[in-house]
Amino acid sequence: MGRTVGIDLGTTNSLVAWWNPATCQPECIPGPYGSTLCPSVVSLDADGTIAVGEPARRRLLTQAERTIYSVKRLMGRGIEDVQEELKLFPFRIDPNSQQVIRVRLGERVFTPPEISAFILRELKGWAEKFFGEPVDRAVITVPAYFNDAQRQATRDAGRLAGLEVLRLVNEPTAAALAYGLHKSQRGLVAVYDLGGGTFDISVLKLISTGEGDIYQVLSTNGDTHLGGDDIDNAMLAAARDEIRARNGVELDAHAEAVQELRKVLVAAKHALSSEEKTAVRVALPDGAAYGREWTRAELEALLEPIVERTMGPVKQALADAHQKPQAMEEVVMVGGATRTPLVRRRVEEYFGRVPHTELNPDEVVALGAAVQADILESGVRNMLLLDVTPLSLGMETMGGVVAQIIPRNSTIPASAQDAFTTGVDNQTGIIIHVVQGERELASDCRSLARFTLRVPPMPAGAARIEVKFLIDASGILQVQARDLRTGELRSVEVQPSYGLNDTEIERMLEESIEFAEQDFATRQVIEARNEAESILAATEKGLAGEAGRSLETAERAEIAAAEAALREAMGGEDYKLIRARIDALNHATANLAESMMNQVLHATVEGKKLSEV
Amino acid sequence: MNAIHTETASTCWSCGAPAAGEHFCPKCGTIQKLPRGTDHFRFLGLPRKLWIAMDDLEARFHQLSWKLHPDNFVRATVEERDLSLERGSQLNDAYRALRDPVARVEYLLAIEGMRKEGATKQQAPPELLEEVFELNESLDELRSSREGNQHGAEMTALLRRLEEAAHGFEARLKDVDEQLMAAARQWDATVDSGDAATGRAALARMNEILNRRSYIRNLVRGVNEELSK
Repeated sequence: MGRTVGIDLGTTNSLVAWWNPATCQPECIPGPYGSTLCPSVVSLDADGTIAVGEPARRRLLTQAERTIYSVKRLMGRGIEDVQEELKLFPFRIDPNSQQVIRVRLGERVFTPPEISAFILRELKGWAEKFFGEPVDRAVITVPAYFNDAQRQATRDAGRLAGLEVLRLVNEPTAAALAYGLHKSQRGLVAVYDLGGGTFDISVLKLISTGEGDIYQVLSTNGDTHLGGDDIDNAMLAAARDEIRARNGVELDAHAEAVQELRKVLVAAKHALSSEEKTAVRVALPDGAAYGREWTRAELEALLEPIVERTMGPVKQALADAHQKPQAMEEVVMVGGATRTPLVRRRVEEYFGRVPHTELNPDEVVALGAAVQADILESGVRNMLLLDVTPLSLGMETMGGVVAQIIPRNSTIPASAQDAFTTGVDNQTGIIIHVVQGERELASDCRSLARFTLRVPPMPAGAARIEVKFLIDASGILQVQARDLRTGELRSVEVQPSYGLNDTEIERMLEESIEFAEQDFATRQVIEARNEAESILAATEKGLAGEAGRSLETAERAEIAAAEAALREAMGGEDYKLIRARIDALNHATANLAESMMNQVLHATVEGKKLSEV
Repeated sequence: MNAIHTETASTCWSCGAPAAGEHFCPKCGTIQKLPRGTDHFRFLGLPRKLWIAMDDLEARFHQLSWKLHPDNFVRATVEERDLSLERGSQLNDAYRALRDPVARVEYLLAIEGMRKEGATKQQAPPELLEEVFELNESLDELRSSREGNQHGAEMTALLRRLEEAAHGFEARLKDVDEQLMAAARQWDATVDSGDAATGRAALARMNEILNRRSYIRNLVRGVNEELSK
């Protein structure tokens, strides 16, 4: 069994973290470029290889049509859900997309979970390199306001990346976990999480009990179409209009130039968090230059409506928790966008207290995921997370009206039962439509699944089928049906309205075999190197001992040569060669091992009475 | 929801030791199957009474959460994982249903077979008929004056009348809640005394009060929505 990690699969950046037992703290794992942030960018090269993170981000400037960012905005969504996104982001949606969106990268087509899987696979690789051991399980964070389809898509991505997803944890809850550990805070805490593409607000109660600390989420709310990305888009739109007016250049036709401009503007946005003004300069496709000075006031004017949009969910979350803003004993800021002075100011004004910003807002979610991973993995139980489902679960009834089954902010796992019967004689099926959302009409809610309960032909009303809806600890729906006449339990085939079914996932797993092979090779190299290390150590020990000293010169030379050959192979990436040279060294040391064994046996026997042997 | 028939699993599914109604087998410590129809009161180890001390309820909830939450069973067998999901979700369902006084009464009525969802809710209680009639007239008047874009003194008076009516109904809600409390105390007394007939009467009364309560609440909500437009 391999290692378990915590992963923050973010809109803009993703991170992987682990629980360091030596320091008793969670820690983020750095990648090959030294940073713990892996840009959530994926690029498909012309030769078919996939680049993820920093190299992919660079390709945005050279091969924009082969590169994708902010794919999280598409997770678990249908075409009609992302019309706004499509106006703002250069997603190249495949025209053959059905319920699940498909995106073009060069000549190939991928679903959002497949693209997210590339990011997860990259992070898994970072961790494997760091540990020198395989990683096969993970806790992955999701925005608290993610619906069932978005959660399922995230879990599918994990599966496609070769990870067993032990749990999906809500991002603000993960942040609270990392933060609570840091501060040993008790009482009411609000977590304001404005990330790259999503906004979440959660109200938690931190309780000390005899068994340990409980992190109980009282309520959560948010907007899964709102984040720092929107500020970038607003700046970009302003700059594009200016370029059109001043230079007469239509930038949209030049994907790479748009990305260059975006990059420069994002840098300017970051600079404006600490400075009052900053200059932007970029070369245009026609050779001319576009230059402009941005002031913090201008940026804040664009930011204001975005911050304003976060206040609705904040108020709703407090109302649902039956709390007033002043009752919060701490306010925690999460997400890169909370570095902006305006956001901090507005949150401080609303809650009447200075928000906490001492933990790195980029890392805190991944750190919390690592804490939860350790809780699940080690069974050390002095912390317990009680999270909630963000959206009400309902069923469509007569006239398209929703009957609520499990209300929002119910602690998960949560369940509800309902009994169904037939309305006409010899009816053989009852159609159940499950939705998620707060609206009265099913058509205004998110369709989760439609399924048919099969019943044998009988007079109307004679059939009695009890359906159990269960939201698990990851916030994902499961459905069970029981025939109350026979007591027979049936699993219900729930075809997710906007998700991948098992057959599709199996197919994708097969298709991704080429990438899995890269993975497999990496893992094999790691394992072979570890084995080589231990046999080399054993050989050295043997040679230094009595058995080694009694060897003939020729044999010593043979062993030394085999050791040198193995060391050389360990420097490369060919695990088969490493294995072959391990075998060669084993062969060369056969005599040595035998005489070592004899001596050990001898020593053991010598120290004991005859009767003990 | 149906009336409850409790089939008690009398032996541990794992080791066969006697384990009646416990969350965990007293002998081998394995999480136990949940007998179908175990009600929330029994699940939390509470009598079927409506008066519940909130701090005691919360303490029971937390204590059982430590033991039953699926977090504890990530490395357990599939059977145990399923059982923790089942017991863990019922724990949360039980806490949700019992911590709110009105939801608690609704739940009790359901498990006592006294509550039929939506059967009588939409009928106006007789003693309110006249007031409801007047209120609806004022609401119609408000809507039509809005369509005609009318303003001025007449509109102000109409709005004031509606606000007063809403306040009046809100005050009635308080009365209704007191009546509910009285009936609840009556029920709790019969749990101790075993007086089944009086108990049924108390349940019937609570059912009728709840219908009235939800009718008035909807009314108040409707008026407030119309006023906030």
